[in-house]
Amino acid sequence: MKSAESILKRGFANLCASLFFKFFALNFNLRPDLKKYLKSTDGWINFIFIVKTESLSINRGLSFKNGHVKTLKNFCEKPDAQLIFRDEKSLGKAVISPPNELMILLMKNEMKTEGNIGYLQLFNFYLSLILKRVQISKLKKESKKRGFSEKTINKINSKKINQLKSDALSDDLDEDIGVKHLKDRYLADYSLKDFPRIEDLLSIHHTKIPEICHERPELLTDWFRENGFEKSNSGEKWIPELRQANAYKYLMENRKPIIRKNDLIAGTTTTKEVGVVIYPDAHGTMIWGELLTAPHRPLNPYNIDKETINVLHKKVFPYWVNKNFREWVRENKDYPICQKIDESFAAYFLWKSVSLSHTIIDYPKILSKGTIGIISEIEQEIKNTPEDNRSKIDTLNAMKICLEGINLYSDNLSKEAKKLSENEIDSIRKKELEDLSAVCGWVPKYPCTTLHEAVNAMWIIWVGVHMENTNAGFSLGRLDQWLQPYFESDIRKLKSDIEKEKYLKSAIELISCFYLKCTDHLPLVPDIGNYLFGGSSSDQAITLGGITPEGLDGVNDMTYIFLKVTEILSLRDPNVNARFHKGKNSNTYLKRLCEVNLNTGATPSIHNDEEVMASLKEFNFKKEDLRDWSATGCVEPTISGKHMGHTNCMMFNMVAAFEMAMNNGYHPLMRWDIGPKTGEVDTFNDFQSFFKAFEKQFEFLADQSCKYNNYLGIAHQNIRPTPFISSFIEGPLEKGLDLTKGGATYNSSGTACIGLADITDSLMVIKKLVYDEKKISLERLFTAVKTNFKNDKALYAMVKNKVKIFGSGDEESLSMANKVTRLAHEIFKKHKNYRGGIYNAGFWSMSNHVAFGTLTGALPSGRFKGKAFTPGLTPQSHASSNLLDNIRDVASLDTLAMGNNIAFNLKVVPGRDDNHAKSVENIFSYVKGYTDLGGMQIQLNVVSSETLKDAMENPQNYQNLLVRISGYNAYFTTLNKDMQLELIERAEYGL
Amino acid sequence: MYKDKALVLDIKGNSLDDGPGIRSVVFFKGCPLSCSWCHNLESKKIVKEISYDITECIGCNSCRDICENGVFYGKKEILLNRENCTLCKKCIEACPSGALKSVGEEMGVDEILEIILKDKVFFDVSGGGVTLSGGEPTLNMDFSLKLLKSLKEHDIHTLIETCGFFDLNCFMKKIYPYIDTIYFDLKIFNRDDHEKHCGIGNEKILNNFRALFDQCKKDNKIIIPRTPLVPGITDTKENLNLIASFLKSVGVKKASLLEYNPMWVNKTGKIGENKKLFNDRMESFLDISDVENAKALYNQLGIVC
Repeated sequence: MKSAESILKRGFANLCASLFFKFFALNFNLRPDLKKYLKSTDGWINFIFIVKTESLSINRGLSFKNGHVKTLKNFCEKPDAQLIFRDEKSLGKAVISPPNELMILLMKNEMKTEGNIGYLQLFNFYLSLILKRVQISKLKKESKKRGFSEKTINKINSKKINQLKSDALSDDLDEDIGVKHLKDRYLADYSLKDFPRIEDLLSIHHTKIPEICHERPELLTDWFRENGFEKSNSGEKWIPELRQANAYKYLMENRKPIIRKNDLIAGTTTTKEVGVVIYPDAHGTMIWGELLTAPHRPLNPYNIDKETINVLHKKVFPYWVNKNFREWVRENKDYPICQKIDESFAAYFLWKSVSLSHTIIDYPKILSKGTIGIISEIEQEIKNTPEDNRSKIDTLNAMKICLEGINLYSDNLSKEAKKLSENEIDSIRKKELEDLSAVCGWVPKYPCTTLHEAVNAMWIIWVGVHMENTNAGFSLGRLDQWLQPYFESDIRKLKSDIEKEKYLKSAIELISCFYLKCTDHLPLVPDIGNYLFGGSSSDQAITLGGITPEGLDGVNDMTYIFLKVTEILSLRDPNVNARFHKGKNSNTYLKRLCEVNLNTGATPSIHNDEEVMASLKEFNFKKEDLRDWSATGCVEPTISGKHMGHTNCMMFNMVAAFEMAMNNGYHPLMRWDIGPKTGEVDTFNDFQSFFKAFEKQFEFLADQSCKYNNYLGIAHQNIRPTPFISSFIEGPLEKGLDLTKGGATYNSSGTACIGLADITDSLMVIKKLVYDEKKISLERLFTAVKTNFKNDKALYAMVKNKVKIFGSGDEESLSMANKVTRLAHEIFKKHKNYRGGIYNAGFWSMSNHVAFGTLTGALPSGRFKGKAFTPGLTPQSHASSNLLDNIRDVASLDTLAMGNNIAFNLKVVPGRDDNHAKSVENIFSYVKGYTDLGGMQIQLNVVSSETLKDAMENPQNYQNLLVRISGYNAYFTTLNKDMQLELIERAEYGL
Repeated sequence: MYKDKALVLDIKGNSLDDGPGIRSVVFFKGCPLSCSWCHNLESKKIVKEISYDITECIGCNSCRDICENGVFYGKKEILLNRENCTLCKKCIEACPSGALKSVGEEMGVDEILEIILKDKVFFDVSGGGVTLSGGEPTLNMDFSLKLLKSLKEHDIHTLIETCGFFDLNCFMKKIYPYIDTIYFDLKIFNRDDHEKHCGIGNEKILNNFRALFDQCKKDNKIIIPRTPLVPGITDTKENLNLIASFLKSVGVKKASLLEYNPMWVNKTGKIGENKKLFNDRMESFLDISDVENAKALYNQLGIVC
C-alpha cells in the first residue's frame, strides 16, 4: 500500500515539475518580452538545464536552443548544469522558498549543483523574469522580518568619544622617537565635527545603497569581443599577459574619469557613488540569477539599473559563462573530485574561484619613481634580454602596456579636474580642483613630492589594481611608514606654529578622504555569500607601527594620524592592523591602540610583531624583508612589495576531517563516502589510533584542496595573469615572469584552518572520558553525537563539566591544541603550490566558523549540530570564567605552527561607571600581558551583548555599529542572523 | 586546625574590583561575623562542605546510587541529609553536571602560589597584585604570614580585605609588615545594631581601626574604610552619619561605599542554609540616587568617596 502511495506521490511530483517546465517553456516561446532574453549580443544562448532528485524520482530538463525552449524527459545530450535535490521534500521546499532561502538549502546540502554554475544562475534569472512579483514580495516580507523597511534608515548617530591626551598619561610612558611634529600624539583635540567635508562623505557611506556597476566588465568584454580571447583576430594564440595588458589599457583609457563632489582625491573604482565591481572572469556570473531581485534581498541589497541588467545579461555574462576560473578547471581538468568537494561547501572553500589578490605592492617604489621611472626600468630590461627569450619580452611588454594604461587614466582625471574647475563658482573649491588637475597631471607618472601627491598617486594606482584584480583582500600595506617622508618634507617647509597646525589638520582630512575613497567600492557578494562571508567588504588592510626594515622603532607622526582617522571614522574597511614591537614601540602607542579600540568598538587589530616574525622562520626571508611585513586581507603577513602569498587561498574546515574520522571516511552532511577508510568506531583501541584517523582524513582533504587551488592557479595564469601588479612587486621584472606564474621574489599560499577550539575540545573529551578515565565508551559517545545528544543527558553534562578544555588554563588541553596546529602546519607545509611556494597554515576564520558550523553535525565537545564554531582560534565561552586563562592559553600556542597568523577574539564591556581612562588601562593590561606572554594577535569587541541584542531588534538605529568578526570588521546590521547570534554568544568580560 | 594549610574557598583571577589593577583574590573560608546580608554563605564555616545547585541538576541519580551513607533522598527532587555526610566526595566525582561541588579546599602556600604566579605578568603590567579576602583572612594569621612573605619575595603587591575583628598585636606582627594596602570594613556603628545584624559587638573593630589608621598614617600605608550599602540596615542616614563622624574624628580623608548587589539572594540554599531577607528592598539594586546621597553625606564631612 505504502509503496503504491509513494509511487502515486512521485508521479504527482513529476507531473507538477513537468507542468511547470511546460508552462515555463510556453511563456518563453510565446511571449516576445521574455523571448528577447534568450538572445545575447553574440546570438542565442544555448544550454541544457536539469532538475532532479538523488533517487531520480524526479528528473526533468529544459533545453534552450536557438531561441526555443523545450522540455526534456529523456536526455541524450550532456546537461550544462543540474540542480540535484536530496528528495522531493527538499524540492518542494525550494519551490515555495523566497530566492534567498534557496541558498540555505544549498548550504544544508538539501540541494546541490553539478556543472556550470553560470547556467544555473542564468536559469534562475529566467525564473525570476516569470516569478519576479512573487519573489520580490517574498523578499520584502523577509526584510520586514529583520526590521528593515526601505525608508527607516535613521540619520547616523555618531557616538560621543572620550579621549585621553598623550601627555596627560602617567609619566612612566615612553617616547616615540619617530614622532617629530605632534605635540599631543593622541591628537585629542580633533573630532569628526572639525571636518564637515568628511562628515558628508561619511554619511554617504552609511546611507547609500551600493549599486552594481557594469563599466569594467562592459569595456573589457568589448575589447575581447573585438580582439579575441583564446586567439587573436589573426588566428594566433594570444599570449595571456599581452592580451590582458591590451584589454587593461583599453579599459583604463576609456573608463569615465570621475571626481566626487568635494573630494580631495581624484578617481573612482566605479561610476556609482558606492559601486559593486563585476569580475565576470571570476565569480561575476554568480549574480546573474539575482539581477532582478538583488535590490530586494534582506541582507546587503544592491541597486541595479535597467541598463546594467541589459548590459550584463546580453553582453557580458553570456560571453564569460564558460571563461572563468571555475569553468576553466571543470573543462580542462575534467571536473575533478577536488572541485566537487569545494562546490559542496562543507569541507573547504577556495578563494581563487573569486580572486588571487591578497598581496601588497611596492608603494614606496611607485611613489618615489613614478610609473615613468618603472617603465624605463622595464625598457632597460627588455634591452638587456636576448631576443629569443620571447616569453620574458612579452611579459615585460605586457607590464609596460598596463602602466601606459594607468597613465592615460590619470591624464583623463587631470583633464576632468580642469574642466570642473572652470565651471566651479566657489573660489575655494575652484582652487582645490585646479590643484587636483595639476596633481593628476604629475602623478603617478612622476615621483611624488608632497603628501597630497603621494595620496593621490596611491589612490589612482589602487583603482588600477582593482581594474585588474578582484577587490577581495588586496591590501595597502605600511602606509604610515611610506607616507611619513612626504609628511615630514611638507611640514618642514612651514615656519609658524599656526601654519603647521593648519597643515596637520589638512593631513588628517586628506587621510580621512583616502579611507572614504576605499569605501567607494564593494566586492560582489551573491546572496549565498551573505550566509558564508556576511558583511565583509573587500578587506583592504592597512598596517601601522612595528619596526623599520633597519630594525628601528617605526611609529611616527603618520602612525598617530592614521589612528586618529581610524577613530573618527570607525569604518569596517580599510581594515586597520597595528604592529606592536615590544622593546621598540612605546607603551604610549600601545595604549593608544587600546583607546581607539575602545572608541570604535572593534579596530585596529593588534599584532605582536616579534611573534608574527618568529612564526615565519621557516621561510628564511631576509631580515630586512621580514621586518617589512604587512597584514593582508584579514591578519595574514605578506612581505611588502616582494611576496605573492595569496594568504587567503582557502578556508579549510578542519572539523570536516574530524567528522570523517568519526565515520570511517564518510561525510554525513555531504552524504558522501569520500575519504580514506580509517576505521569504524570499534577499531580505535587507544586515543592515538583515533588521532591517526583524524590525521589521515585531514591529509586527504588537504591534498584535495591544495590540488584544486593549484588547478585554479593555472586557470588564473590562463584567464587572468596580472601584468599590472607584476610591475609593482619585486621579481617579475628580473625574471620576466608574471606574478601568477611565480614571478615574485617570494611565493607561498596561505590557508585559514577553522575549528581549532572545537576540535581540541572534542579530542580532549575522547581522550579523557573514553581512554584515560574510561568513564564512557567511544560507541556511546559517537551515538550521542549522531543523535545530537538528545537521548543522553548525563553524557552531555559530563562532556560539558568534567573535561578541561582549551582556554581553561589546563596544560593538557593546551598541548592538545598545539598538537592540532602542528598537524595542520606539517600537512600543509608538505604541499607545493603552482608557483613553487609552500602552503602556510593559519588559524582564523573570517565568518566561516559560522558557515562551516551550519554544515557540521554535533561534536564530542558538546557543540550541537549546526551551531557556529568559535571564531578564529578563540576558546569556547565556557572554557573558564577567568579571562586570563583564555589569554594565557592562546598566548602559549606554538607560533611556529601558525605562520599565516591567527585571530583571537576578546569581547570586553566597559563597566557601569564607564570610566574612560580606567577602561583604556584595563584593555591595555590585557593586551600588554598577552603580548608579554608571547601571544601573536588579538582583536577586540568593546560592546555589550545587550547592545547587540537591541541592534538585532532595531537595526535602523545601529547602521554604524562596528564589530570584529574574525580578522575583518563589519557593521552588525549587515550580518546574517547566525552570525549575529554567534557574536552575542561570545563570552564577555567586564572592564 | 590546619597548620601548614588553610581552607580556601576559591582563588579568583582577573579581578578588577578588589584593589588596584588586575588582581588575584584568595578567599579564605571561615568568618567570625555572621552578617544577616552575607552574600557568601559558603565562606562562613571553617569546615569543608558540599554544595548542591538544583538549577544545574539533571536528575540522573548518580549521587544517590553511589552514596553509601544515604545522604540523598527525596522523590521528585533530590534532597540532602547533610548530617549523614562523611565528605567522602564520591558523589561529587559521580555527578556529571557539576550540581554537586566541594566547598573549601585545604591548600598550602606553594599550591596557592602556583596558581597565582601564572598571572604575575598581568599584575606587573596593570599595577595589580594579590588580595586576601574571605571569609576573614585574619582568622589564620600564621598561614597568612607565610603566604604574604612569599608574595613579597615575588615582589607582588598585597592587599587585605578584613572585617576588622582580630587581635591587633598579632595583626601588627604577622600581617601588617607584609601588606601594602588595607581595606577595612565598618558596617554598622551602633553597637547593638551591630550585634543584631553581625552577631557580635563592634568595640574591637572600632578600636582596631583607630589604632591601625594611626599606624598607617605614620608609615604612609594606604588604609581605606569601607561600608557596604545594605538596604535598610547599613544605608540608613543615621548609621552613615555615625560612621562618617567617627571617620572624621579619626582623621580619615578617603573612604569607600560599596554598592549593594542583590545577586546573593539566589545563592542561598546551596549548602543547606536558607536566609530570610530583612526587607523587600534587599531583592534589588539600590537606586543611583541613594548611592549619590550616601556619598554626598560623606563629602559634607570632608571625606571623599
